[in-house]
Amino acid sequence: MARRFSSISSGTARCTRCERSTPLVVDDVSVDLGGRRVLSEVSLTAEAGTLVGLIGPNGAGKTTLLRAIRNGIEVASGEITLTGQSVPGLSAREIGRRVATVPQETALSFAFSVREAVAMGRHAHIGRFEAADETDQAAVESALDRTSLTELANRPVTDLSGGERQRVLLARALAQATPVLLLDEPTASLDINHAIRTLETVRSVVDDGTAAVAAIHDLDMAARYCDRLVLLADGEIVAAGPPSAVLTSETLETAFDATAVVSQDDVTDAPRVTALPGVDEGDASDTDG
Amino acid sequence: MSVRQRAATWSLWLCGVLAVVITVSAGVGPVRIPPAAVVKILLNAVAIPAGIEVAPLSVAGTLQLPLPAITWQPAFAFPVDATEATIIMQVRLPRILLAATVGFALAAAGTVMQGFFRNPMADPSIIGVSSGAAVGAVAFLVVPAAIPFGLGLRGAAFFGAVLTAFGVYLIATEDGRTPVATLLLAGVAIQAFLGAVIAFLQLYSGDGLRAVVHWLMGHLGNAGWTDVTITLLIVPVLFAILLAYARDLNVLLLGEEAAAGLGVAVERTKRILLAVSALLTAAAVAVSGVIGFVGLIVPHMVRLVVGPDHRVLLPAAALAGASFLVLTDTLARAGATEIPVGIVTAALGAPFFLYLLRNREVHAL
Repeated sequence: MARRFSSISSGTARCTRCERSTPLVVDDVSVDLGGRRVLSEVSLTAEAGTLVGLIGPNGAGKTTLLRAIRNGIEVASGEITLTGQSVPGLSAREIGRRVATVPQETALSFAFSVREAVAMGRHAHIGRFEAADETDQAAVESALDRTSLTELANRPVTDLSGGERQRVLLARALAQATPVLLLDEPTASLDINHAIRTLETVRSVVDDGTAAVAAIHDLDMAARYCDRLVLLADGEIVAAGPPSAVLTSETLETAFDATAVVSQDDVTDAPRVTALPGVDEGDASDTDG
Repeated sequence: MSVRQRAATWSLWLCGVLAVVITVSAGVGPVRIPPAAVVKILLNAVAIPAGIEVAPLSVAGTLQLPLPAITWQPAFAFPVDATEATIIMQVRLPRILLAATVGFALAAAGTVMQGFFRNPMADPSIIGVSSGAAVGAVAFLVVPAAIPFGLGLRGAAFFGAVLTAFGVYLIATEDGRTPVATLLLAGVAIQAFLGAVIAFLQLYSGDGLRAVVHWLMGHLGNAGWTDVTITLLIVPVLFAILLAYARDLNVLLLGEEAAAGLGVAVERTKRILLAVSALLTAAAVAVSGVIGFVGLIVPHMVRLVVGPDHRVLLPAAALAGASFLVLTDTLARAGATEIPVGIVTAALGAPFFLYLLRNREVHAL
C-alpha cells in the first residue's frame, strides 16, 4: 500500500499504523441539521488507491457527508474513522494531517503568492514555534509541480483566473500530504479543459495511494474517473458500487426524479448518462445542475 | 528570502527608524536639545550588569537568606549638561517610551483584529474595549466612589475594557461558537450603549468635565516611569503570544471552514486571539486614553508595503505603530500649547487613509 509522499511525510512514525488500517471508514452515520435528518445511516469505505464518487441531486447530503468526515459537523449516530482512529477523538491538527479538503471555492482575496497559499497546506505539519523545513518545502514544490503551478508560483493568487485558483486549492490539499483527500465538486465552476486536468491530477494522486472521496455533479465524469460511486438522495444511499452498476435508468430515476438513458461512451467506455425531458410535471432535471 | 529572514530584516529596519524617531523627538520641546547631546544622554543611561553581589537578607528576624543582586554599572560616561539630562530622562523619555509602547500595542492589536474579522475597518476598539475603558475612566473621574477595590484611574479603565470585551464575547457566543459577524454587531451595539453611558456621565461631571474630555481625546502628557515600566512588562508578553499565532492568523484569512480543514482549532484560536488583543488594547488605553486611528491605519499602511503574511506584517506593523505614535505625540507637544495626541493621530491619519482609499490600494485587507 504505497502512500503518497510517504518518503517525505513528517508523520512517518505514525504512518506505519495508517498503512495497516483503512484510510477512511464511514459506519452507519446519521447527521441532523436544525432538527432535520440530512444524512441517514450512511456507510462507505475508501481504501488507499481508490477514488469514490459521491453523486446525487442538490441537497442529497454530499457536502454534509464530506463535512462530517473532517469533523466540521456533529454526527448524531454512527462512527467515522480516519486511519483507524475515531474522528471525534482527534484534535483539529491531527485531522489536518489525515484529511485534506478541496473546497468548492474559498476566499483567496488576499495578495498571498501562489506558493504561500499552497504552503498553508502544511499548517498541520508545522509546530507553533517551528518554521517550515525541507520536508515542508519539498511537499509544496511537489504539489505545485503536480498541478502545473510552478510557473505561476510567485504570482499573487488575486491575479489568477478561476481555473487557476481551483488548481491552487487542489495543490494546497496535495501539499497537506494526507492519506485521505476530500473534494467538494472540484470541477463545478471549471471549463471542460480545466475539469479534465483537475480530475486527471486527482486520479494520478489516487493511483499513488491516496484514498479520495469526491462529490461530483457531472455523472459522465464521475463514471469515467471513479472506481466506485455512491448515489445519495435525501440523505440516504440509493446505490453504491462500480459506476456501471450504480448508473442505471432505475437508480437515476429514484434519485433524481428524472428520466435518463444510460449508454456506453464510445471513446472512454465509461457509462454515459443522457437525461431526457421529464414526462411528468415537465420538470426536466438536468444532471449537471 | 525565507519568511523569518524577511520578518527579521523588516523588524531591524523599523527598529532603526524607531531609534531615530525617539532621538529626534527627545530633542524637541521648549528647550531644544541637539541630537548629538540627546544620543550622549541616552547612552549614559545604558547600564551593563557588572557583577553579582550576594547580600544577606534577614527573613523573620532570625533566618538569614543570601539574596543575589545584580550590580549595574553605567556603560558610558559622556560629559553632558545636567539640566538637559534631567529634562530628557525625567520629562521627555518616559513620555516617548510610553507613546512607543502604546503605539506598538494598538498597531499590533489592530493588525490582529483586521485579520480576525477579515474586515478592513476593524480596529482594536471594535469589540468595545475602548468604550469600556472610557466608561471606567470617566466613572472614576466623575463618581470615584462608584469604583470598587480602590482602583485608580488606570485600573478602572483597564478593568472596564476587559469586562466589556468579555461581555461582548459572551453575548456573541452560542454553543461554543463565536461567529465573527455576531461579534462585530454585538461590539457595535455595546459601543453605542456605552457611548450613552459616557455622555450621561459627562452631563453630570461638573468640574470634572475638562479632565473627562482630556482623557477621552487621548493623551500621553502625565506619563511617568511607573506607567512605562508596567506597560513595558505587559505588552511584549502579550505580543509574543500573538506572534506565536501569526501563521494561524494567515490561515484564518482563508475563512473558518478552510482553516478548520487545514488543521486550525478555529474556535480556540479565535478565543486566544481575541483575549490577547483585548488585553493589549486595554493596557494601552488605560495609560493613554482613547487614541484613534493608530490601530486602523498603521496596519493598512504596513500591509501595503510588506504584504499580508502576518509573520512579517505583525512585527512590522507594531514597530511602525510605535514610531507613528512617537512622531504624532511629538507634533502634539511641539506647539505653543499642547493638544491631545488623539486629535493629531485622527487629523493626520484620516486624510492619509482617504488618500489610500482613493488610490484603490485599500479595498480589502
